[in-house]
Amino acid sequence: MTRWVFMAPLLALFAVFFAYPFGYSVWISFTNLTITKQGQTKFVGFDQYLGLLSNSTYLASLRNTFMFVIAAVGLELVLGMVIALALHRQTWLKNVTRSVLLTPMFVTPIAVGLMFRFLLNQQLGLIPRILSVFGITIDFFGPRLALPSIIAIDVWQWTPLMILMLLAGLQSLPEEPYEAARVDGADAWFTFRNVTLPLLRPVIVVAIIIRALDAFKVFEYVIAITKGGPGTATETIQYQVYKTGFQFFRLGEAAAMALVLVVIVFIIVIIGYRRMVPR
Amino acid sequence: MLVLLFAVLALVASACSSSSDDTSDGGDTTTTVAVEAGGEAATVRVIMEEVPDTDIVKGMLADFNAEYPDITVEIEAMPYDQMRDRIVSSFLASDPTFDLIIVDNPWMYDFASAGFLEDLNDRIAATADYNYEDFSAPLRDIAEVDGGVYGVPFYNYGLSLIYRSDLYEAAGLEAPTTLDEFGAAAAALTTDDVAGIAMQPQKGYKIFEEWANYLFAAGGSIQDADNTVVLDSPEARTALDTYIDFYNSYAPENSLNWSFDESLRAVAGGQAAQMISYNWMLPTLNGADGPAGDLAGKFKVAEVPGGISVLGAWYWSLPANSNVKDASWTFVSWITSEAQAKTRVIAGGAPVRNSVMTDPDVWAQGFGEDYYKTVAAILEDARPLADGPNAEEMINVVGEELNAAVAGQKSVDEAITAAATRAQEVLNQGG
Repeated sequence: MTRWVFMAPLLALFAVFFAYPFGYSVWISFTNLTITKQGQTKFVGFDQYLGLLSNSTYLASLRNTFMFVIAAVGLELVLGMVIALALHRQTWLKNVTRSVLLTPMFVTPIAVGLMFRFLLNQQLGLIPRILSVFGITIDFFGPRLALPSIIAIDVWQWTPLMILMLLAGLQSLPEEPYEAARVDGADAWFTFRNVTLPLLRPVIVVAIIIRALDAFKVFEYVIAITKGGPGTATETIQYQVYKTGFQFFRLGEAAAMALVLVVIVFIIVIIGYRRMVPR
Repeated sequence: MLVLLFAVLALVASACSSSSDDTSDGGDTTTTVAVEAGGEAATVRVIMEEVPDTDIVKGMLADFNAEYPDITVEIEAMPYDQMRDRIVSSFLASDPTFDLIIVDNPWMYDFASAGFLEDLNDRIAATADYNYEDFSAPLRDIAEVDGGVYGVPFYNYGLSLIYRSDLYEAAGLEAPTTLDEFGAAAAALTTDDVAGIAMQPQKGYKIFEEWANYLFAAGGSIQDADNTVVLDSPEARTALDTYIDFYNSYAPENSLNWSFDESLRAVAGGQAAQMISYNWMLPTLNGADGPAGDLAGKFKVAEVPGGISVLGAWYWSLPANSNVKDASWTFVSWITSEAQAKTRVIAGGAPVRNSVMTDPDVWAQGFGEDYYKTVAAILEDARPLADGPNAEEMINVVGEELNAAVAGQKSVDEAITAAATRAQEVLNQGG
């Protein structure tokens, strides 16, 4: 009995802030709930989910979202690791360097989106102006580069978080394995591959999961810069959910869209976690 | 994460069920007239967009309160992208956030048919000397849904051609009246430093809003008299071919995601010679403190090539769940009265009443006879982008296909076929 009493506050919070909204969302995904037609709501079974299979814009947004997450988190991991390793060895101006490097992640994403919208603007932006000095013209938000540009913006903003997590991990590693590697004559690359990476694996897994879950929510850059265009080149799931639910009022369909992603992400996280963390 | 979004979706949805009860008997639904000065004190909470017209309304509140000291008007201005969500949340809440809202024309049908808005017919009829017929007819048509009147025009944003008169004169050009003349003018004005046209091909609303002027000029239509989508036409293909040709030939390089604000900056900064944009931008560009700096005074407005513009407008509407509808209508009927409409337009507001646009006092104290006559001509036969249910979504799907064609992801034929099919599906879904 006592343990239930102690758990009650947590369970209450869980029920109010997770179980009820989540359960309700599952329920409305099986209905045709539309804000502007409240009197006509009815149970439609799996119709909303089946409809998504033929929704070309939704399928494009699924593909774009996964490409975005894989590319952005991958780049952030590699860059974050390189910078974290460099900072780990740094002794001079350590605090100043870290403060400057961490700055991007303290800016709200919608402001970052607007900032890059104008920074990369061909006529008004600083970056195209600098590139033009060298005779280079790049259509950052054209059909081919729009998604890579959004990915690059995410990398600019969130690599610092990766650095922070990896640096914390590096600083908590024991010194003995490194001393042993030195005694055995291991070079830097061998030490990194066979000592640092295995020891850091739990931190890397957590860092990837945290960043990936956040990256799946990509929305602000899209709404601030491309509105999902050109065509469907930068349509993402969250932007689709927002448009369907709030712009077009179809909450039932929006809930189904989001739940499909939840299920996919849930499966990926479980598989990834099981494979990457030794039991 | 996503759960957070669900929480928001679910909370909004759960509020739906309660709001239907509130709107059925909430508020005062009896026929009323505007309360007179000295009536019961009330606070009217208004949501508006952060635009120059809102600032003008704010500047008139002192005069309103001199006549109606018991009514406090609190205006919350915000960017366009935030407005619709806040308005819908207020509709669904048992205790509404706003007592008076402004409604963009694509939202009107859905809001009215969902029962979110008060029918203003009786209030209009009961307001002395209101002269409702004086509002431009195409503007009134948008707010009239199934016999009800759900909004009073606030300001128009009909599309126009805004051009640099100095560049036109130097090149010996007249304002173009056809797409061919428009293209020829753009070709003559395009240099290494100045783009012939600043366009707004951004996916969604913006490209459709601009391209539809080309469609009308080519003799095409979006919907017929029965509201059936008739976009799948040779005229639509011609219009899109022309639009893409102009974009590739005369628009600033790499401006595929440009919206109206980038175009405005380009024209104001002397980087483009002209644009198809909102007629109310002329006073902004020619204003001494405006964004054009030394170029102020060099801009003129004309009807779009072809003479039929896309019509956009904002409306004053009363949420059905407001508890201070009498006070709200008092303010609306005051600010939109003939006398105050004149004051508002002289201060720089976009006109909606015919009497104001033909008033010599307004010409003299405002922006000149030419400007108001041109705006009157624009409004005379302007057409909205969509008429009927799900207008916002219909506009978005058409704008997605048009943008894909300009980006080269689809052929003109594929894009027009898909746009017509999807637009009709969206309309049918709402029917």
